Parts: sequence; C-alpha cells; structure tokens
Amino acid sequence: MLRFPEEIILLLLDDASGKMAKINDWSLRYALAGSVLMDLALEDRIDSDLESLLLVDKTPIGYKSLDFALAMIAKEENHDVRYWLEKLAVHADDIKEQALSGLVEKGILEHREELLLWVFKSRVYPVIDGSAEQEVKLRIMEVLFSDIIPDPRDVVIISLADACGIFSAILSERELEHSRGRIDQVRRLDLIGQAVSRAIWDIDASLVYAMQPQGL
Amino acid sequence: METRTKEEAGVLIVELDGRLNSPASSQLEKKIKVWVSSGSQTVLFDCGSLSYISSAGLRVLLSGAKLIQKQKGQMALCRLSANVQEVFEVSGFIDILNVYDDLDKAITALS
Repeated sequence: MLRFPEEIILLLLDDASGKMAKINDWSLRYALAGSVLMDLALEDRIDSDLESLLLVDKTPIGYKSLDFALAMIAKEENHDVRYWLEKLAVHADDIKEQALSGLVEKGILEHREELLLWVFKSRVYPVIDGSAEQEVKLRIMEVLFSDIIPDPRDVVIISLADACGIFSAILSERELEHSRGRIDQVRRLDLIGQAVSRAIWDIDASLVYAMQPQGL
Repeated sequence: METRTKEEAGVLIVELDGRLNSPASSQLEKKIKVWVSSGSQTVLFDCGSLSYISSAGLRVLLSGAKLIQKQKGQMALCRLSANVQEVFEVSGFIDILNVYDDLDKAITALS
C-alpha cells in the first residue's frame, strides 16, 4: 500500500516525461504536510478534533517522514492541526524526496537524470508501472461520479488532490464542473484535509491582498 | 466508551456512551464488523450519551456506513449532543449520514 505522500506525488507526475506538474509551492508544501498527518491519523498514531491534534501512540511506523513528524508531535503537546501543518510544510522537500525514493524502490518510478540545455542535470521520474497510479485514479473517479459512501482513504486522497489542483489536470472541464459539489462534499469529511484547504486559501488570499494597489 | 445493544422492529440499536476517540474507535470498528457479519443490516447508533467524537470516531462511522451500504443495509444516528452535532456540521457528516433528532423517528424511518 502506498503512503499518502507517495500517492500525491504519483498523481502530480507526468507519466511519460516524469516531470512534476507545476503547482503553487505553498499548495504542494501544505498538501505534503497534510498527507503525513493523515497517514499518521490512519495509522492510529494521532487523532484530532475541532480544536487540537492529539498524540495517541508514539510507536514509530518505519517510514522516515512519518516517524520524523511523529517524534516532533511527541515532544510538544497542545497544538492544533494548523500548527503542525506549518511546522511540517517547512520539511516538504524532504517529504517529497522520500516519496519519490519510495516509489522508485517499489518499482513504480524510474529515476533518470536528463540534461537541460546540454548543461544542467534535471531529475525526472517517468512511470514504469502505471497500475498503482491507475488504481488511485479509479478509486477517486468511483467516489466522484457516484453517491457511494467513500472509504476514509479515498476521502484523504480526494482532499489532498483538490488542495494540489490535480483535478483540473485529470478531469475535463465538464467533468470538473459536474463533480465540483461532490469534491467539496467529500473533502470536508476529513478535519485535517479541511485545515490543509484553509491554510492554502489563507496564503492565496494574502497574496491577492498584497497585490491590491495600496492608497498613498 | 461503552456500547449497549438492543433490537427493536428489526433495527439493531447501539447506544454509544462516553467518548468516541481513537482507542474507542478501534474497538467500535471491530464490533461493527461482527454485527454486520452476524446479519445485522439495519443499525442505529443512539448518541444520546455520546459526549465527544474525534476524527477517528468520524472515520469509524464512515467505514461502518460504507460496510453496511455494501451489504445493502442501512445505518443511521440519532440524538446527537450539541458538540457532536457541531462536529457533524463542520465536517459535513450531517449531509452524508442519516441523522435524526429522535429515537422513535429514527426507528420508524429504518424499519
């Protein structure tokens, strides 16, 4: 079973070129931070409510970025989900690197170095086994285009995918319009996912405000 | 958290008493699987004595509802306290699960 950071990275990679889709840096950071927290929650290491994030069990899971986050949470108590999103977003590059390495180890991606302009090396990760990605996409589609009660794992991946703007890439405009209500309904079902959406929205809103012409 | 069960009009009524947090959710998940595999297709959670629900609690109710839906059964909840109701409204669970104010109305709707 893939970890949530791995599922999100897989959805963001272009299958053939192995390059990451261009999304806002902060969207990716918060989505990766949220994916770590959601993985910890489904592993019964943490729990959350409307006010706080709670440590349940500090036993390591054996996956570096999750255990790193768990150790941080075990050292400090009485914080809310947003606090931990901000703390973990700083480490999003490491979370992403581990997700990519994990996918290579599992034989899903291949690590290749390409030359840009014959000088700079660029790492790309073309998909060599597309079945895992197809499985993730099928699960998402089944939930979005039906009224079945989603599995908690599907709620998480839909919430994270929406945070990264992935749906505009994998759905047609018509499909996106048709499923927007269902996406909003499903992504609300996870309280950590709600906090990720709010964190991204806050940054987007502050950028819009900063770009407004200011009075003299 | 304690659970007490009884049957009425073909509905398995499960009274939830206490806090539905992570440890309680693990226990409840196992019980739901047992009830469903024993043939209970219509399950009503009476939340009159449920004082708290966390994300783990929400997930186990969602998984339970999914399992019961797969078996072509029905699941509902009733008598949510004010703070559990708030969590249901913020999370949107109020729209995705069948929730009733009243035990009798819930039993009538399910039977």
